[in-house]
Amino acid sequence: MSQVLHPIEKSIIKLLKSTPDLAEEQIAEKTNLSIDQTRRGIEWLRLKGLASVSESEKSFVKLGANGLKAKQEGLPERKLVNLIAGQPASFSELQKKLQGEINVAIANAKKNDWITIQKGETENIVSLKHNPGQTREEKMISYISENTVAVDQIKDSATLESIKRRPDFLVIETTKSRTVSLSEQAKTIDTDKQDTGAIDVEADVPRVYAARTHPLKDTIDEIREVFVSLGFSEVMGNFAQPSFWNFDALFTPQDHPAREMQDTFYIKGKAAEKFANPTQIKRVSDSHKKGWKYDWNVEAAKKMVLRTHTTCVTVKYLAENKPDEARIFSLGRVFRNEKLSYKHLVEFNQVEGIVVGKNVSLRDLMGIQTEFYKKMGLYKIKFWPTFFPYTEPSLQTMVYNQRLGKWVELFGMGIFRPEVTKPFGITRPVLAWGGGIERIAMLKYGLDDVREFYNNNLSWLRTVSKCQ
Amino acid sequence: MPVVTLYLKRLGKLVGGKTNKSKIMESLPFLGLDIEEETKDYIRVEYSPNRPDYATDVGIAAGLQGLLGLKKGAEKLDIKKSDKSALIQTDTATKKTRQHICGIIAKNGKMDDETIKQLIALQEDLHFGVGRRRKKASVGIHDLDKISLPLVYTVASKAHRFVPLTMSHEMSVEQILEKMDVGRDYGHLLENQVSVTIILDAKKKTISLPPIINSALTTVSTQTKNILVEVTGTDKNATEDTLAVVATTLHGLGFTLYDLKTDARGSSQIFKTRPMTLDPDLVNQILGLKLTPLSICNYLKKCRLDAVTKGKKILCQIPRFRFDIFGPMDLVEEVALGYGIQNLTTSLPASTSVGQKNPVTKKLDQLSQVMTGLGFTEALNSSLTSKRVLYEATKRDSSGLIEVLESKSQEHTILRDSMLPGLLENLSRNIHESYPQKLFETGTIFSKGSPIKESISLACLSAHKDTSFTEIKAALQSLLKTDSNIECSTKASQNPIFVQGKTADVMVAGRKVGVIGEISPQVIENFKIRAQVSGFEIILSDFILQG
Repeated sequence: MSQVLHPIEKSIIKLLKSTPDLAEEQIAEKTNLSIDQTRRGIEWLRLKGLASVSESEKSFVKLGANGLKAKQEGLPERKLVNLIAGQPASFSELQKKLQGEINVAIANAKKNDWITIQKGETENIVSLKHNPGQTREEKMISYISENTVAVDQIKDSATLESIKRRPDFLVIETTKSRTVSLSEQAKTIDTDKQDTGAIDVEADVPRVYAARTHPLKDTIDEIREVFVSLGFSEVMGNFAQPSFWNFDALFTPQDHPAREMQDTFYIKGKAAEKFANPTQIKRVSDSHKKGWKYDWNVEAAKKMVLRTHTTCVTVKYLAENKPDEARIFSLGRVFRNEKLSYKHLVEFNQVEGIVVGKNVSLRDLMGIQTEFYKKMGLYKIKFWPTFFPYTEPSLQTMVYNQRLGKWVELFGMGIFRPEVTKPFGITRPVLAWGGGIERIAMLKYGLDDVREFYNNNLSWLRTVSKCQ
Repeated sequence: MPVVTLYLKRLGKLVGGKTNKSKIMESLPFLGLDIEEETKDYIRVEYSPNRPDYATDVGIAAGLQGLLGLKKGAEKLDIKKSDKSALIQTDTATKKTRQHICGIIAKNGKMDDETIKQLIALQEDLHFGVGRRRKKASVGIHDLDKISLPLVYTVASKAHRFVPLTMSHEMSVEQILEKMDVGRDYGHLLENQVSVTIILDAKKKTISLPPIINSALTTVSTQTKNILVEVTGTDKNATEDTLAVVATTLHGLGFTLYDLKTDARGSSQIFKTRPMTLDPDLVNQILGLKLTPLSICNYLKKCRLDAVTKGKKILCQIPRFRFDIFGPMDLVEEVALGYGIQNLTTSLPASTSVGQKNPVTKKLDQLSQVMTGLGFTEALNSSLTSKRVLYEATKRDSSGLIEVLESKSQEHTILRDSMLPGLLENLSRNIHESYPQKLFETGTIFSKGSPIKESISLACLSAHKDTSFTEIKAALQSLLKTDSNIECSTKASQNPIFVQGKTADVMVAGRKVGVIGEISPQVIENFKIRAQVSGFEIILSDFILQG
């Protein structure tokens, strides 16, 4: 296998071939590389299996402040015996000379059996027993002297321990060292061989990002494709709608809580002038009067709102075209006056499909749903009854979310109420279903916060994988 | 959607039979109830606002009894006769303010803490839904033994004093409206009224100030055995509907109901069932089934409705509290529930049509493809944005501003009339990401029209240290040429978002269709962007998408 080596790597190999097993610092020193370059080179070699690094800890010892003092002046007990070499001395005389060291000096000299202490007339008298020779501790202090000595070089560890117990006599330092050794393969590399101009094709390269469509748009497109493949055609409508199409046409009474400003965005100072023909208005008005028993007000129907669902688009299409047979869908932004949160947006996308036909039934609606979800890659679904103001009967789909380990609510569906269809002269059943797209996209992209779709974080947009 | 807490032990007892927790949990969704939370002792379920009878465990228990086949058909509300004093006399002066009142007496029941909690929750639900925040109807529940009948529904001045619920001292109506939470929340319903409606008992003691608060005198506690319910309101139907739900719930709790007359009529008249005819063909057509009239009756009974066959049709009796049932289609849904949604198999109707995308969608897909080919990544922003982003930071003219009312989010108050500001905002949030940054967006923009004009626009920005007018004009020309074989030109103009002398109008066939230029340093600074930026915006509805 031909291997392309960086000049740094080459110089490290060259050095280790002649002087094996060196520490990083030593390599840096001998190759004239900076320590960073050396470490990088060693890491590359390690990844390529050309070098191994063994880490070890090593302790060194040198004399501390008191140790150095003892080296110059002698240990306290030595000073003591020197003082009484000629003649015994009283405790107070010795204290004057030895000061703070007196207690240590007496204790150690006694322990070594160098001195005797006798009661004098006024105080204790200290006299020399015999002239002592050099102790092991003294030998070691003069051995270490001003050097730094590896702990493992000191054989008399008991003495080392006893000196250690004297405060500030010794300083122990532990250093980690990384020793680099070449692998057998590396030892065979000829670093002087002619450079072939090859580069390291296995090395990492800088990242580039593909320009792309938005991940949510991709899901929207996917849903569109599914609808089209099921024989549905797309209709579009305005975002700003007269209340008539958003609410009244869908049998939502004018005092319904959903119509209040705290749920719906009303556009300041805007009212629709022409929004439906007189017959449509009259019939919707009658439907409200009969069903909800109140006086329907045309002025409330004129107020412009940001559509709260795409159903206003589909119902308007039905009213204008009165099809006997149809499969249509509408998809786009809808608006709710909500506080933003991880699961609520002010503006999100909704899709809605409807089927008009002579013999279409609730079971058909469930069948189309199942087919739709299957095409979206969602297989585990079930249906529960629910309530929507403008459909009867109404169901909701529950889809099993593997990641969350639970059933989540997805699209709602139902058959348009006669109170909705009759005023517009639609006599055949209208199957309708729909729901939020972000919810599906969250499942697909594994997101837990719906706001991520509209944050436009390049770090996400540039790196998120397309849905599989 | 409203939520109710159900203690499983209590619910199990109410349902009766050999029901266990798992059977109940399995069945709840098929009544249309979503389980929101589940613990060992209780669950919280979400119910539909059109079924206020599901605001209590009693109502839900009745539904479960039906589905589980323990009890079928409607509960009969047997209203016993009362003596003559069981009466609410109505002062004609109330006609001008809150003209409708009705009520009922419920005796010999047991109240425990949980029952009281459930009744309060029911009351709140009725106030919010049917009652439309107490305007159309509001309920008062009183301890009957504290009251001397008959009652008088009359008016009083705002100086009228009594001890309101939860208080220990007398307050005037004025003080209640000013100082108590309920007074502040619902006081607006009494605005511009000199006098307010009150209910007095035979000893002239105030028992209620509808729709604000009851008096402390009649507070219901665990000691209460006998209850008086009054409902007042501005809408006769809503008032009576509300009473029907409360009465049905009290019946379910084991109370015996007694008539409470108002001037015109007694409670029993209110609770008359509504006959409704159902055609089995409609059921079978809508559900895609072949059910016999007899089995349809059976499924309706499982939904606690009374139904009998009558010739080829089915005659159904709708209890007063089921005001969610408007017509036969609502009964079809009841049949589906009785049949069991889980038992409905799916079918797939053959498609007779060929599907297609809207031409606008197709065009936008194509444009997006070219834009990504030119190295631009797609961004998505809301149509609703803020004055700061749309006008202040971009120095754009705000005279055409279109605002929404009472937005809960400060960042979403104005409909965008351009997409460039949103994209600049995106750049400002990505200053830590590597450059070049190139973004585009397609979407709807809004301007004044009759009443509002919506146009589809495409905007893009290129941000890096070397971007220039030349770069972005080249991108624009390439986009239009590649996508639509359109040649465009740029004509020098002025625009505060761009640098003076480096901005132009985009012209196609002699018409302005957009703007292009290098973004002005001031705007770049306003958005704290750390690069040069150039961009363009073209109104697709004005040329490519026209016609």
